[in-house]
Amino acid sequence: MNLLERTNEVRSQLKEDLSKVQNTFQSIEDFRLKYIGKKGLIPSLFRDFSALCATEKREIGKILNILKKDAEKAVQNIQDRFADSQSGEDEFDYTLPGVPFNRGHLHPVTQTMNRICDIFKEMGFGIEFGPEVETDFYNFQALNFPDNHPARDMQDTFFIEDDILLRTHTSPVQIRTMLKQKPPIRILAPGRVFRNEAINSRSYCVFHQVEGLYVDENVTFGELKVTIEVFAKKFFGKDVKLRFRPSYFPFTEPSAEVDISCIICGGKGCRLCKHTGWLEIMGCGMVHPNVLNTCGIDSEKYSGYAFGMGPDRITLLKYGINDIRLLFEGDIRFLRQF
Amino acid sequence: MIVNTKWLEQYTEIPYSPEELEEKLTYLGLESTIKKNPAEKINGVIISEITEIFPHPNADRLCICRVDTGINTMDVVCGAPNVKVGQKVPLVKIGTTLPNGMTLKPVKIRGVQSEGMLCAEDELGLSDDHGGIMVLDNEAPVGMELKDYLAGSGTSIDIDLTPNRPDCTSHIGVARDITLLTGKELKIPEIEFTESDESVRDYIDVEIINEIGCPRYAARVVRGVRVGPSPKWLVDFLGSVGVRSINNVVDAANFVLLETGHPLHTFDYRMINGNKIIVRSAKDGEEVETIDGVRRELIKDVLLICDAERPVAVAGIMGLANSEINEDTTDILIESAYFDPATIRKGSKYLGLQTDASYRFERGADPEGVIYALNRLSDLIVQLAGGAVCKGIVDCYPRIVKPREIIVRFKRVNSLLGVDIQQDWIVEKFEKLGCKILDRDSGSVRVEAPSWRPDLEREIDMIEEVVRIYGMHNVPNAKVMRIQPNYETTHDYELVEKLRELIANFGLYEMCSNSLVNQVFTEFGPQTLSPVKVKNPLSQDMSHLRTTLIPGLLQTAKRNLNHQNPDLPLFEIGFVQHYNPQKETHAEEFQKFAILLAGFFEEKYWGYERRKADVFILKGILERIANRFGISKIDFKLEKHKQFDQIISTEVDGRQLAYLGRISQKYLQNDWDIEIPVFVLEGDVSTLIHLSSQSRQYVELPVFPSIQRDISILVDTNIKVADVERLIVGKGGKYLQELRFYDLYKGKNIDKGQKSVTFNLVFRAEERTLKDAEVEDTMAAVHKTLLKELGAKLR
Repeated sequence: MNLLERTNEVRSQLKEDLSKVQNTFQSIEDFRLKYIGKKGLIPSLFRDFSALCATEKREIGKILNILKKDAEKAVQNIQDRFADSQSGEDEFDYTLPGVPFNRGHLHPVTQTMNRICDIFKEMGFGIEFGPEVETDFYNFQALNFPDNHPARDMQDTFFIEDDILLRTHTSPVQIRTMLKQKPPIRILAPGRVFRNEAINSRSYCVFHQVEGLYVDENVTFGELKVTIEVFAKKFFGKDVKLRFRPSYFPFTEPSAEVDISCIICGGKGCRLCKHTGWLEIMGCGMVHPNVLNTCGIDSEKYSGYAFGMGPDRITLLKYGINDIRLLFEGDIRFLRQF
Repeated sequence: MIVNTKWLEQYTEIPYSPEELEEKLTYLGLESTIKKNPAEKINGVIISEITEIFPHPNADRLCICRVDTGINTMDVVCGAPNVKVGQKVPLVKIGTTLPNGMTLKPVKIRGVQSEGMLCAEDELGLSDDHGGIMVLDNEAPVGMELKDYLAGSGTSIDIDLTPNRPDCTSHIGVARDITLLTGKELKIPEIEFTESDESVRDYIDVEIINEIGCPRYAARVVRGVRVGPSPKWLVDFLGSVGVRSINNVVDAANFVLLETGHPLHTFDYRMINGNKIIVRSAKDGEEVETIDGVRRELIKDVLLICDAERPVAVAGIMGLANSEINEDTTDILIESAYFDPATIRKGSKYLGLQTDASYRFERGADPEGVIYALNRLSDLIVQLAGGAVCKGIVDCYPRIVKPREIIVRFKRVNSLLGVDIQQDWIVEKFEKLGCKILDRDSGSVRVEAPSWRPDLEREIDMIEEVVRIYGMHNVPNAKVMRIQPNYETTHDYELVEKLRELIANFGLYEMCSNSLVNQVFTEFGPQTLSPVKVKNPLSQDMSHLRTTLIPGLLQTAKRNLNHQNPDLPLFEIGFVQHYNPQKETHAEEFQKFAILLAGFFEEKYWGYERRKADVFILKGILERIANRFGISKIDFKLEKHKQFDQIISTEVDGRQLAYLGRISQKYLQNDWDIEIPVFVLEGDVSTLIHLSSQSRQYVELPVFPSIQRDISILVDTNIKVADVERLIVGKGGKYLQELRFYDLYKGKNIDKGQKSVTFNLVFRAEERTLKDAEVEDTMAAVHKTLLKELGAKLR
């Protein structure tokens, strides 16, 4: 057999062996050694090639070189294939769950309170606090609730002593702040409050309030309106509609309740809004002159507005929670949802 | 307060649909809700007349009523005791579905076919009355659908009144507010009766002893009345606002109450001894029996109406059984008084009794409305029950309630509201409210507030009237919102919120528990201080303010364990109170942060073994918190406490910051019925904030490389890691930059009573590269010391 015939023979053998190579290191190595290893078939062809005359060399050289390159390429391919399979691409299960990093988070009411505070902080309100155990003076008298007045019935009270009680709203913080600071005063008072009411799905004896107060020269009802509107649109979405209804609180006059268009039905009427299209979200009004004067602020020179809302109720509305007690029971299945 | 549109129309024209009226009243500050007419839901019930009644052949208690429907006659089996020939009754036809969901099917009752059903009010969903079949007025047209017949009685609107509006506890009051919008006239019914020749002074004399409690008391006497049923119009009007008809005299008094808002009382004149009414305070311990049949012991805060011998009414609250109107009453004493709001409120609170009368008096009745209401009731009684009104009124008015004069500055109205309302408009509305315009100049108007509006006392009250009539929705939003520089706010709020976020980010869920707890909960923890007690708690389980947050967390843990959720990473930040009589509120408040861990701390995961709750997670959290708040060093100290198996207190610069530990298993089992280990931490927020430091200084990065060495030794198990560290640091020399304990091993290949501890040491010099040989020398010294001091063996 001459060299040309042997070369063709090796080529067809290579083709056949290549189809039989298994995807294992040994099989691939065997294949490599057989053809392009130092003692392999192709180097041996080259050794014989060097003995040929120039004419024959010209005839066969090209063919032999092509065979060499093809063999090298084939080896490279099967080696790459093996390497890929070894990298585990097939076994890599990208659907495995990721590391469950610390999943804890804040209570839904805290989240609501923080959002409320953030919005008003953007509008220049500072945050103030006051005690949960209060005196009758701060909780009622200074807020223009006279003794023996039916307005006191609006807020059933837990008493500690005759003149000491659990605050029924965070409004005492307004009084404490006004007694301590000079106008302009622009504050927000978040905190826990207490009402002596039977516990059921709609009311709990402990809940939260966020109250705001602004006292300065020439504060108007129109300023109150726009402040509440900015808050409501930032909190509930810019398409929300507002309405102000006259109401009564002893410490503000004029007083108003603020309703927003129902966040579920948009005002068409549904179960949440009891088919009225509106949801009550807060009370507000212009600070009563008696309150300003009690705090040593001249009500002729200064005016102000105040507002107050219940983050618990807003949380219930926002998430569609139907029982306020869930907020205070700490059921982990409940807490995990927010 | 419920009002009825048909009733309101007696006093003014209402050009609005009920829905429009509901909205307009709400915008006026009278929050209104239309009461759905229950009759609307009734279909297929028609008015029929009973023409004949036959006994049922097979049942004594049943009868067969033949009814005329206007088209045909039908026989209906009926068991009601009150059926009579000639009655107009609602007839339910076969196939009709009643509001209670029952559909009437053809049925034989004891062998007799019934072609329909006569029913009681409750079966129609109109009321709870099941006393017999519903009987309609004689004028009810036979053949008409019942719902069309009932719809003729107007729409009822429920008004949620605010306490400042006693005037709107009446139809005239609400009608007056409507005229503010419509500009129409308010028509007050005229008084038509003529007095008899007998002088009222021959029958009654009034003496007021407590003039503060009763500034005004007026009375009339009507003689020769016949107590009987009320006419349909009166029954319907009262029924439309939920008041049941009793008899013509009582109904008339209720009607005038709901018309004028002024509570009146009627006495059976026969029962008044000595022709005398005396208004006085009760004596402490004095006992009376009110018309509800309850015996009540009084105190001196309660005001009494008495005759010459004995009490006959609790003033402004409720009459007494001894002088009540009966069916055989013929002579009536009518009381129309003005009682002091605070006095009535005190009495009503004390007795725990709120009535239609006390509700109005404590909000403020109209002292000038006394005479009109008295005349109006006398007039109605004469119309409905006959009799003659004695000549004159006994009007005892020792303390005149002075009218209030108010000056309103137009500029003030507009500047406070941020509007530009015309002066004429304002004055016109004040007049419509019933104000007397006393004076007016270019800048202001002086008015006398109407006697029925005790809430109008000063300028701001009038400004409120302006804005509610003008419409709050018509006040334009301000164009500018002002923000002033504020140097007063503290950053404590931000720090508390930072703490909250930080703790949550460790993988804990924030919870929020009740501040009111059982007294036993205040006895928890290393620091028991006296708690604050609530005088009027909802229950014994909520009788005290919490002194620590831990019991609240434990209670929550217990609840979750009951639901088979044992893996609990919980925390709370909140205030606790301690009794301290030195403080203004007799309470000292502390904001606390508290953590509870139980079960596994981490979620189940395929990639690692999850960690169980333990003390060192809490310790790590506290150390991390301290680091984030710029606190560099915490001292931990082992303590002992009976409620804890392990308890560690922590101090920073000699101040108590927090404690943490594992709650005693015995205590958990006995007091909480909890079987699994529970770990808790409680710290003080203001101490943390006080100790915190914002100043962090950058340290130059090292220029020269470091050399690291590990050292692993075997020591007795009672040797503390901190002691080993101290020895290493002592011999580590000035180039020892870091020392980190990182492995603890007991068990296989280690002798009992021994443990293996491993540290990593980093050596570095700031000015040059260290030589290995230097470090080797130091390490040898360290080994020697550990061997000498602790008997440690190298591993």
